[in-house]
Amino acid sequence: MAFNWTPQQNMLLRMVSEFTDKEVAPFDMQIDRDGRYPDGLFQKMVETGFLGIMLPREYGGAAFDPEITAEVIRRMAVGNASAAVTLEGHYKTVDQILKFGTDALKREYLPSATKRIFAFSMTESTGGSNPMGIQTTAKRAGDDWVISGNKIMITNGGLAEVYCVLVKTAPDELSVFLVDKDMPGFSFGKQEDFIGLRGVPVGEIVLDNVRVSADHLLGKLGNGIMIGDSAHDDARILMGAALTGIMEHALQVAADYANERKAGDGTIGQMQSIQRKIADIAMGKETTKLLYQRAALLKANNQPYSEEATMAKAYGSRTAVSACDDALQVLAGYGYSREYPLAHLIMDARAMEIAEGTVEKMRSAIAIAELSK
Amino acid sequence: MTNTEEIWILAEHDANRVQPVTFQLITKARAIAAGRRVVVVLLEGTQEHFAEQISAYGPDEIIRVSADSLERPADSTAASALMQLMAKRQPNAMLFAATAQGRSIAPRLQAKLGTGLTADCLDLRFDGDNLVAVKPSYGDNVMCEITCPQRRPQMVSVRPNTFTAEKAGGVRTKITTAELTLAAPKGIVIEDEQVAVSSATGVTGASKVIALGRGAKGDATVARTRQLAARLGASVGVSRPLTDRDDFTVEQQIGQSGNTIAPDFLLNVGISGATQYLVGIDQAKLIVSVNRDADAPIMAQSDYTYTGDAEAFLKAFANRLDVK
Amino acid sequence: MKIVVCIKQVPESNNVKFDPVTHNLLRSASTGRINPYDKNAIEAALRLRDTVGGSVSVLTMGPPAAEETLRDGLAMGADDAYLLSSRAFGGADTLATGYTIAQAIRKIGGVDLLVFGRQAVDADTGQVGPIVAELLDQPQVTFASKIAVLDDHTLHVTRDLDDRKQTIRLTLPAVLSVRSELNTPRYETPVNIQDSFTKPLTVWNEKDIAADPTRIGLQGSPTVVTKVFAPENAGRQNQQLTGTPAEAVDQLINILQQQNLI
Repeated sequence: MAFNWTPQQNMLLRMVSEFTDKEVAPFDMQIDRDGRYPDGLFQKMVETGFLGIMLPREYGGAAFDPEITAEVIRRMAVGNASAAVTLEGHYKTVDQILKFGTDALKREYLPSATKRIFAFSMTESTGGSNPMGIQTTAKRAGDDWVISGNKIMITNGGLAEVYCVLVKTAPDELSVFLVDKDMPGFSFGKQEDFIGLRGVPVGEIVLDNVRVSADHLLGKLGNGIMIGDSAHDDARILMGAALTGIMEHALQVAADYANERKAGDGTIGQMQSIQRKIADIAMGKETTKLLYQRAALLKANNQPYSEEATMAKAYGSRTAVSACDDALQVLAGYGYSREYPLAHLIMDARAMEIAEGTVEKMRSAIAIAELSK
Repeated sequence: MTNTEEIWILAEHDANRVQPVTFQLITKARAIAAGRRVVVVLLEGTQEHFAEQISAYGPDEIIRVSADSLERPADSTAASALMQLMAKRQPNAMLFAATAQGRSIAPRLQAKLGTGLTADCLDLRFDGDNLVAVKPSYGDNVMCEITCPQRRPQMVSVRPNTFTAEKAGGVRTKITTAELTLAAPKGIVIEDEQVAVSSATGVTGASKVIALGRGAKGDATVARTRQLAARLGASVGVSRPLTDRDDFTVEQQIGQSGNTIAPDFLLNVGISGATQYLVGIDQAKLIVSVNRDADAPIMAQSDYTYTGDAEAFLKAFANRLDVK
Repeated sequence: MKIVVCIKQVPESNNVKFDPVTHNLLRSASTGRINPYDKNAIEAALRLRDTVGGSVSVLTMGPPAAEETLRDGLAMGADDAYLLSSRAFGGADTLATGYTIAQAIRKIGGVDLLVFGRQAVDADTGQVGPIVAELLDQPQVTFASKIAVLDDHTLHVTRDLDDRKQTIRLTLPAVLSVRSELNTPRYETPVNIQDSFTKPLTVWNEKDIAADPTRIGLQGSPTVVTKVFAPENAGRQNQQLTGTPAEAVDQLINILQQQNLI
């Protein structure tokens, strides 16, 4: 794991921290309360070039590697977890186009990935964790494909402009196509009202005979499950990073309070019961960081990283929920108040026990990998 | 050129009045002069007559330079007028106000003279022939004493309101007039000058802040506070609970999840002082807090406290300033 | 329009500490950063370049490590950079710094506009811009709060004095110092950050800029820092205002008057 960043990497990370401190962190509470980003924040992220951080230079990106991309997510999450997850959803989608897109598709779409959000969409009302249950179909029409169906609970749904969607190309065949919101037949549906990560728009898209050319197919026909798994793996590294950022935020709040809150002649930070909580939060943060950093390192070195990425999210999500709960307890009544961020941090972390694969499915995946070694 | 033991001060004025900082500099210069003559240089337009206002503060002499081009001089014109005066008679020290204008003219003159200039001073004294300038550095976290031992004049600029001005009776101020040839400034035309309208809405950079909390959240209280703030040139800030009002946002919020402020004067009204608020006001210079509860955490973090009703205090404050 | 922005590296934090025994300043080990006000100057220059074309250079005087600060300017979008670096420049006060920069501007040649931030956060002087303007015999507008381009050689500038605003027609070449209210500086962008390490960066010493050795560094600096000390920390006095609200207000007004706050 490269802890000696290059000067370029250092400069980028310093910019990200400065941006987070000035533009994102001050709105953390407001984002949770309002359930949306303040006006102009997302535009500022786009103008500053956040969307292109991991995109190769040939498409107008800055080509930072997977380790740095994860570090960007962690730092953003310290300020606001929603903003970090919005970036995560975009990066993982761009990653799949880079891996599986045709050259024509990459040339057509990736240059715009510095300005437009890309989203990955699998879930439907009839299938998510059970992908064969989906009902959206793509049917051949000459050289083109025509796609119809409803996709729901899409991270950045409504905000994103380009969607990679999982569809059935045959009764028992899943494939992934890229669709653009400007295509005829594309419309937005219902937005979810979630209890955590409230800045991230999560919504539905409705595809009514959306016609795409054959080069909009990612990979080959029947690659749907494989591409979906790949998207999960890339997302899980970044979610491990976001969870680490959430724990760092909770630790800051708890430690500041423990150092200032008087009890007897000292502060509550001098009490062993409080110290134990502080230590547990710190250990949870660091172990999760090691897990996602290792997965990112493997990815940067073109080695298999699926199991490690899954562990980073499976371990990190429950650990973060518990760490934020500990932090809430340190602040006691204040922790339970909406004047402090701990309630929403718990709910932000909680989302990641569900999104990108439930912890139950992830544990199965880890167990199967171990049992088949 | 004659070297003198004089302390010169550049008078600063706008179209209507001499700036108080000029009087403050005269009073301080007289206090540290120890026999040195205090001379004010007054650059003014031909229709302007500011010498009388200045003489009330007791300088030994006013050198008046009057020209149409000095009503609104370019920095280079003012610097070159001073340079011409100094070619005849060089002072030992030259004091400027550390205002935008003083900070712009002084270094141009410094470059002409090739001497030292210490900006933004908070105190002055003579140590023998050397003027010792005390100035803050690193954002007021360090104080430095700076001298200019080898060259004359020794130049400084001083922050406004650092010293108190006092009128001086019994000093006969000599008023001399100097005729200078001032060329038109190169490359610059000052087309217009207007009094600036204060637009102090943000709390971060404000020099005075009135902060409202849960104990002062009525509409009438907020309205009265805005009037009072306008009168004082203060910005209105709030603690977290008041951001629930439509007319306040995180932009006005003070504290960990809002803004950190560093005003010269902060009045906390009806704020209890949660930890997350207190970290945002640590850098305020003078903190005065009004709260019903004498044991509220804010009270321990204040220079002055008043235990009582927040709204009654605000009303009394507003009344007192309006009748004045 | 050929624009040069003069920037300064300042300490990462102004929270300096003193050795409790020797009372010496404990220099922070942390690296420097670009003076935040200088980012407004770079932003102003970039916007002018984007309006009328031309180039933006960033220039600083300092140790070799000040290169990092120049890279920050390049990462915001400047085209090239100049580092004035030599042991002979060490110990310079504002006068020697102004002379050194003026010599470098002469050496670069053909510069239409020099832009400075309003002041540095560490020393708060704001002197160097006017000194350079005087040495180059150019007009200056300090504390600019608005800049408009009239033509290739003329700017229309609003200048904020403390309680007045001036509108000024400025003919180039000239020197500007800008207020932080003028603009919101852009962040370094990830792409520019990658490119900032391949853009040209020229290092000059005193010989390169034909500097008079008596006018640079310690020798060229008339001022001497004779003492450095910690300001008195008053702490919070915690005194009570008493009586009726009206009486308490009278006490407060007295305090405000004593401190020149009212």
